[in-house]
Amino acid sequence: MFDLQSLGIEYGTVVMLVMLLGLLVTGMPLAFVTLLVAFIFALGWFGPASVPLITSRIYTFVSSFVFVSVPMFVMMASVLDRSGIARDLFDAMRLIGGRIRGGVAVQTIFVAVVLAAMSGIIGGEIVLLGLLALPQMLRLGYDRRLAIGVVCAGGSLGTMIPPSIVLIIYGLTANVSIGDLFTAAFVPGFLLAGMYVAYVLIRAWMDPSVAPALAPEDIPTGEKARLLKGLIFPMLIVVMVLGSIYGGIASVTEASAVGVLGVILSTVVRGEFTWQMLRAAAVQTMETCGMIVWIGVGASALVGVFNLMGGVTFVSNLITGVSDNPTVVILVMMVILFVLGMFLDWVGIALLTMPIFVPIVTDLGYSPVWFGVVFSLSMQVSYLTPPFGPAAFYLKSVTPDISLGEIFRSMVPFIVLQIVALAFLIAFPGIAVH
Amino acid sequence: MQDLPPPAGHPEDAPERDHSLLARLIMACGKPFSLIYVFIMAILIYEVFLRYVFKLPTLWVHETSTFLSAVAFLIGGLYCVASNKHIRIVILYDAVNARVRRWLDVFIYGVCAASTLFFSYASWLSAKRAIFTPGGQFRLETSGTAWNPPYPSILKLLMVATLLIMSAQFLILMIRTLRKKEGDDV
Repeated sequence: MFDLQSLGIEYGTVVMLVMLLGLLVTGMPLAFVTLLVAFIFALGWFGPASVPLITSRIYTFVSSFVFVSVPMFVMMASVLDRSGIARDLFDAMRLIGGRIRGGVAVQTIFVAVVLAAMSGIIGGEIVLLGLLALPQMLRLGYDRRLAIGVVCAGGSLGTMIPPSIVLIIYGLTANVSIGDLFTAAFVPGFLLAGMYVAYVLIRAWMDPSVAPALAPEDIPTGEKARLLKGLIFPMLIVVMVLGSIYGGIASVTEASAVGVLGVILSTVVRGEFTWQMLRAAAVQTMETCGMIVWIGVGASALVGVFNLMGGVTFVSNLITGVSDNPTVVILVMMVILFVLGMFLDWVGIALLTMPIFVPIVTDLGYSPVWFGVVFSLSMQVSYLTPPFGPAAFYLKSVTPDISLGEIFRSMVPFIVLQIVALAFLIAFPGIAVH
Repeated sequence: MQDLPPPAGHPEDAPERDHSLLARLIMACGKPFSLIYVFIMAILIYEVFLRYVFKLPTLWVHETSTFLSAVAFLIGGLYCVASNKHIRIVILYDAVNARVRRWLDVFIYGVCAASTLFFSYASWLSAKRAIFTPGGQFRLETSGTAWNPPYPSILKLLMVATLLIMSAQFLILMIRTLRKKEGDDV
């Protein structure tokens, strides 16, 4: 066959990148693009003898105990989506949002945080909030863009707030304790949510027309008690899952199973449980994981080959050669992540770049746990950013009458807030306490 | 993270197109496998329960849940091929006319078939080592733990099978696209 090795690592890397992007834009599924490129380079660079190395990487990738938590958290979310738990949670949060200006938007962010702490799945959350919170804000005369932005930004908090699947995949690739990652993401996650709340309140205070105050209404005590019941199950589940992880009672994987059981039991108690629902949730879980895992399979095969080619060393020298200033190096990485975020799915990005980035980060004297939080935050930014910001497409799928352009424009202030949070996290690594 | 298919467009992609017999078979046979996840949940909870209530951690839960979820991952990938749920960027794909798109489909399916076929061969190489000794005798590779189940060899064989079926599915899709008259797929 043709000899790719004669290209040298510089051109080899370029050819690989061009091939990757070129195939991607044809509409070929990401998982198979990476598999194909890995295959071409394995054969063309090393010859057939290198092939078993790739398959053994794939094998190791699919059979890791921590990875079992991914389908569990996905299943938790898909059962949750099929129950009325989120709706009742939203109603209950009315007591917190109350009658302050922008109250419903604040209430939406609180609900988003609780949902994020229950599952760590993004698409479903945005869809839920798009169905529950958005119509209500629009009906109450909230500024359209503020309402849309709150739904998308709030719904994306799941990438950071534990238990987040992004953090789990990062932990797997970077060989970092998932428990540590969850602990470290806690403060930055809430900081970001707090910034969203502050933004809403300031907007509402400066221009009362963007978030009209609700007419004063007295909620009778009986009604209050009924509403509060909506808080019980979500809180119990959050305490069960995060409590057993932080408390060291169970491993992340076991805690995720406990979470699934918690959600299923809640639906039983609420009288919503059917076998049909459980089966549908399981099938959805299988589909989602099939997607995630196969992207991971392709990406880990590709990274395996690239590493053998000496590409990982080459790229890491390239990145560290940019500057002696560690912060600049980190910023360069952020730019790379941002650009890749326009083309690749976050699973692919994590598996392709982290084997290169994490050793550099550690060499620079930063903590890989902190970098995991940075990574999850930057993936959150790319989740909102056009042209492929998935958040917009999820919302669009339930609100056909809002244009994609308007959704993207609405997200601009929130993207800015995310970038500010990211800058803050990079400037003060200490806020990722672990 | 996402439990709906499309980061790159198409919220309601995967139109109920006329699935081939193989695709329908994969989807029908694949669905029951999703209940593996419910089973995994059950045994993980069983383990936590035994450990805390009876101080009797099990040997088998850890390995079995890992093995089963790997099985479900493989089948899930196959299921996504059959139902066209794999993540892809469709900006260009959506912009071109039906004629170009047809050839794009042929190209995509053909290339996917080739790469999965190659990888099924590659994974067969390692599966072969997992089920035969270097001397050529049959023996199943085991995990080497205290419980020592033959999971690795089963998983490796299953990987070969999955990749083979995938490439068959892609080939069928390619041939069907080629056979379709131009303009049929609008």
